[in-house]
Amino acid sequence: MGNPRPPLRIPGIAYLLAVLVVFFTVFGTRFASAPNLLNVGTQSSILLLLALPMTLIIMTEGLDLSMGAVMGLSGVVLAMLLVKGTSLPAAFAMALGVGTIFGIANGLLVVALEMPPFVATLGMLGVAEGIALVLTDGQSVVGIGSALPAVYSNRWLGIPFSIVVAVLAYAAFHYFLYHTRAGTYVFALGGNREALILAGVPANRYHVFIYLLGGLMAGMGAFLLTGRMSGGHPTAAIGMEFDAVVAVIIGGTKLERGDGWLPGSVLGVLTVGVLKNGLNVMAVPSSLQIASIGLLVIVALLMDSLRGNS
Amino acid sequence: MKPNAAPLIEIRGVSKAFPGARALDDVSLAVHAGEVHMLVGQNGAGKSTLIKVLCGAHHPDQGDFLVDGSPVRIHSVADARRLGIAVIFQEFSLVPCLNVAQNIFLGREIRDRRRMHAEAAKLLELLGTPLDTHARVDQLGVAQQQVVEIAKALSQNTRILVMDEPTAALSEPEIAKLFARIRKLKQDGIAIIYISHRLREVFEIGDRITVLRDGRVAASLIPSQTSAGELVRLMIGREVDNSYGRRFCERPGESILETRNLSATNGIHEASINIRAGEIVGLAGLVGSGRTELVRAIFGADHVSRGEVLLNGKPLKGAPADSVRLGVGLVPENRKTEGLALIRSVHDNLLVAGLRVVFPNRWYSFGRATQLVTRLIARLSIATPSARRLTRFLSGGNQQKVVIGKWLNAGSRFFIFDEPTRGIDVGAKSEIFALLDGIVAQGAAVLMISSELPEIVSVCDRAYVMRDKTIAGELQRNELTEENILKLAMHHG
Repeated sequence: MGNPRPPLRIPGIAYLLAVLVVFFTVFGTRFASAPNLLNVGTQSSILLLLALPMTLIIMTEGLDLSMGAVMGLSGVVLAMLLVKGTSLPAAFAMALGVGTIFGIANGLLVVALEMPPFVATLGMLGVAEGIALVLTDGQSVVGIGSALPAVYSNRWLGIPFSIVVAVLAYAAFHYFLYHTRAGTYVFALGGNREALILAGVPANRYHVFIYLLGGLMAGMGAFLLTGRMSGGHPTAAIGMEFDAVVAVIIGGTKLERGDGWLPGSVLGVLTVGVLKNGLNVMAVPSSLQIASIGLLVIVALLMDSLRGNS
Repeated sequence: MKPNAAPLIEIRGVSKAFPGARALDDVSLAVHAGEVHMLVGQNGAGKSTLIKVLCGAHHPDQGDFLVDGSPVRIHSVADARRLGIAVIFQEFSLVPCLNVAQNIFLGREIRDRRRMHAEAAKLLELLGTPLDTHARVDQLGVAQQQVVEIAKALSQNTRILVMDEPTAALSEPEIAKLFARIRKLKQDGIAIIYISHRLREVFEIGDRITVLRDGRVAASLIPSQTSAGELVRLMIGREVDNSYGRRFCERPGESILETRNLSATNGIHEASINIRAGEIVGLAGLVGSGRTELVRAIFGADHVSRGEVLLNGKPLKGAPADSVRLGVGLVPENRKTEGLALIRSVHDNLLVAGLRVVFPNRWYSFGRATQLVTRLIARLSIATPSARRLTRFLSGGNQQKVVIGKWLNAGSRFFIFDEPTRGIDVGAKSEIFALLDGIVAQGAAVLMISSELPEIVSVCDRAYVMRDKTIAGELQRNELTEENILKLAMHHG
């Protein structure tokens, strides 16, 4: 479909990422080792799974705050089924199903009932988290057997399983956004919804589908999360939607006009990942890490607006 | 080629009423293939409604459509599309972040990307404007975006092209190019309905003219058999009567508000006006001529880039808050959203702008507030059961009085009234005008924006007429007629 040309200039986020990498290489002694860098990749892979659909949702001037909670719920369902002895493919399918149902629900609330995305998905966040807590009584789900951890610890040419999944997911989203009709309509939904409707495209259907992708990817992320923790925990992914929104915004996707850039979201995810890991390596307290992520958003947006004005 | 053939499209007896207004009344018109049919009329004459009916966005209450002489139904945008009707609105229906080819083929994408770009390039070539089909449309100028819009229309087998003020945002050379394109489309047998506010264009490109007035067809003419003067008269159509009986200002006082060569980032350029104590000065102009923008620049809501605004002889700069403190009162066009807090009482609304003046030592005094509000309600004769009544329950005229009262309280000496009588019934109108008269009689000055030409003519002491974001001319009391206003407001000659 002929994708819009990516911006010719290097986005501010690339410089920011480079500065962070150099900084941590110099000051964090164990940062630049191969195992740690793979670790950054593994940690970032789940975040990327959320940031990809979040990019599309933000491009349509929407938001999905429920992703973290839905991922937690999907993970709990997955773990509980595995404890009961359900086969891995069947349990995984259920986890994806749970995510998808929540995604569709978000989409219908926003598109059919015209609720503000912030409110609708905040509500669904509460619903998902509540169900997860009820199902588990607030406890971790342990004893999921060895099938899932075995898949998770696979390596492919030395690359951890989760990174492979993240790369494949990126490839799929890139193809979807830049090489399919539906991808073109994502740009149009945010840029000029009226034009899309006048062109006779069932805009609402595509709009709901984008939210569905958010839920689906939350289910996918639950697979990696459960594998990494060898169990399910209802609140394990709470707040991850915040990191995903941060990654998308610092990656250069605008909150209006359908102006989004998928590769930027990868840079955004890596920046968040490097910052968190680097601060960990330097033994900075976790409360300060949260503050630093917040600061990151402001610095990134500031850089872009300063460059935009010059 | 045309005289004997059936018109490509014909509209017969179309009527459309909105609550409280008859927008179209028995309108008929016919457009032949290869003909440019100009549609002219004042603001609110029904042009926009007619287009919306034609493209399926509004459903007429009555009337028939014929394409190629046979009756058709237009019940939806899709119906109109199928019949080959395309509309190019002033607000383009383009997606800013998609490229030229994607916009042209939105919703009808061609699988092979290379072929889609080639097709797009071919269409643009036909229009005589080769553009980079990979360029994002938000990086194109307005004229180029318009070309994309036309190409988009042509790519879907359009036979009837409706253009709503296509030259509004174009420069002279761009207009010349557009006309060349339109002539080309004529040769290809496309019927064009062209809405314009510029009389010069009507004669330059039009083959036939339909004048709309108050929702009816005032006349259907051939350009060579009419004149700009006749068109203007047809657009106005009625005899002027001074029904408000105002005593005009004989001897204006000192200058209250003056702008000198004012230019602003919103497009206003080189606008100079002067309003003196005791005067009601009209600001006329067609939609988009820059009336609202001029007011925003005066009020400090949009950034002034050159020139200056003087209030009582002193330069006025900065934000709206400063303007209010210095005594500028704005009675906005949309009083429900911009002028009033509808869910608060008459009492609160009357006080809100003047808090600083009424309570100079920062302490709120309920007694003083009540006293002031009671006086204002009496002075403006606001019909409300009590000062506690929520303003949303008041009638339009009384709401307007509350907005005026709030500025009186703030001690304003210069008032801007933006369409003060919109949505107000006739009785309340004369009350509002009497109020304006009272305000200026006490030495204040009023700038009144209005699309209702008879109002300007019968109420104002003088008027400025805007066109293309600047002052096109000034009319003194003895020159102030609807005809003179329209002549200045439209391009011709």
